[in-house]
Amino acid sequence: MKIKRLTELSLLTGLALIIFVVELRFPDIIPVPGVKLGLANIITVYTVYKYRAVETFLLVLARILLGALFASSFSALIYSLSGAVCCLAGMLLLRRIIPLRWMWLCSIIGAILHNTGQIVVATAAVRSFAVLAYYPILIISGCIAGAFTGICAQLVINKISEK
Amino acid sequence: MTKGVKICLAAVITIFAISAITAWIIVTPKKGKTPQYVEIVQENKILYRIDLVKEKNHTFRIEYPDGGWNDITIENSRIFVSDADCPDKTCVESGELRNEHFPIICLPHKLVIRFSEQGVQNENKTTD
Repeated sequence: MKIKRLTELSLLTGLALIIFVVELRFPDIIPVPGVKLGLANIITVYTVYKYRAVETFLLVLARILLGALFASSFSALIYSLSGAVCCLAGMLLLRRIIPLRWMWLCSIIGAILHNTGQIVVATAAVRSFAVLAYYPILIISGCIAGAFTGICAQLVINKISEK
Repeated sequence: MTKGVKICLAAVITIFAISAITAWIIVTPKKGKTPQYVEIVQENKILYRIDLVKEKNHTFRIEYPDGGWNDITIENSRIFVSDADCPDKTCVESGELRNEHFPIICLPHKLVIRFSEQGVQNENKTTD
């Protein structure tokens, strides 16, 4: 059972990385730092509902570290990490309250928390509140992206449970 | 729909509405003349104060100890980042500085370009 679990998690990490690398090729929709679809989070949301908290955390950590390596963007690593920690903490708590049918809602809140974590770190890094001007735009884009990834993850779970 | 879901849904809708209104306010530029003075700030230290009206058209490079750089261009009283060595080039794609609430930000280089109320004039007065 343990090895089966490990294999599943590695497979999911690999999948998330592939999605992440493919998304890197997408052109920026709006030139605001931090605005992106975050398609790899389909896997994150799926894992939040299907696996234990520690397992989810390790999967996301592996994806972020390897993703930074593949994208060679280590300066952005701190923003991804801070966002992911906030997002995961929130979603792992919310999965007790929000049932599977409302997964997309959990994903939206995760996205909002992700952007909040990022903006806090960005404000601290730049040491200027000017960054906060981007916050409302990040939240709006986060809600849309979060709803999209959440719905995708929900479709995946429905498909798998059908079989 | 459980009570928890209802609360979360209400919270998300509220946050989304507030953000939409705030974003609208931030993005809409103030009526009247565009501000004249620009500050280029890095880690809360003001590197340059520029009077856009008096400044000639030129491009200059800001370099950092870690080897990174941003090319900043001033052209016909407008300012924008024309090139940078960061991978995402978000600061370049942001285009020119249009709005006093919405600065140009280069996160990898911790650089902020924004309009300022009081600019070079005050400084000149103290030195005159």
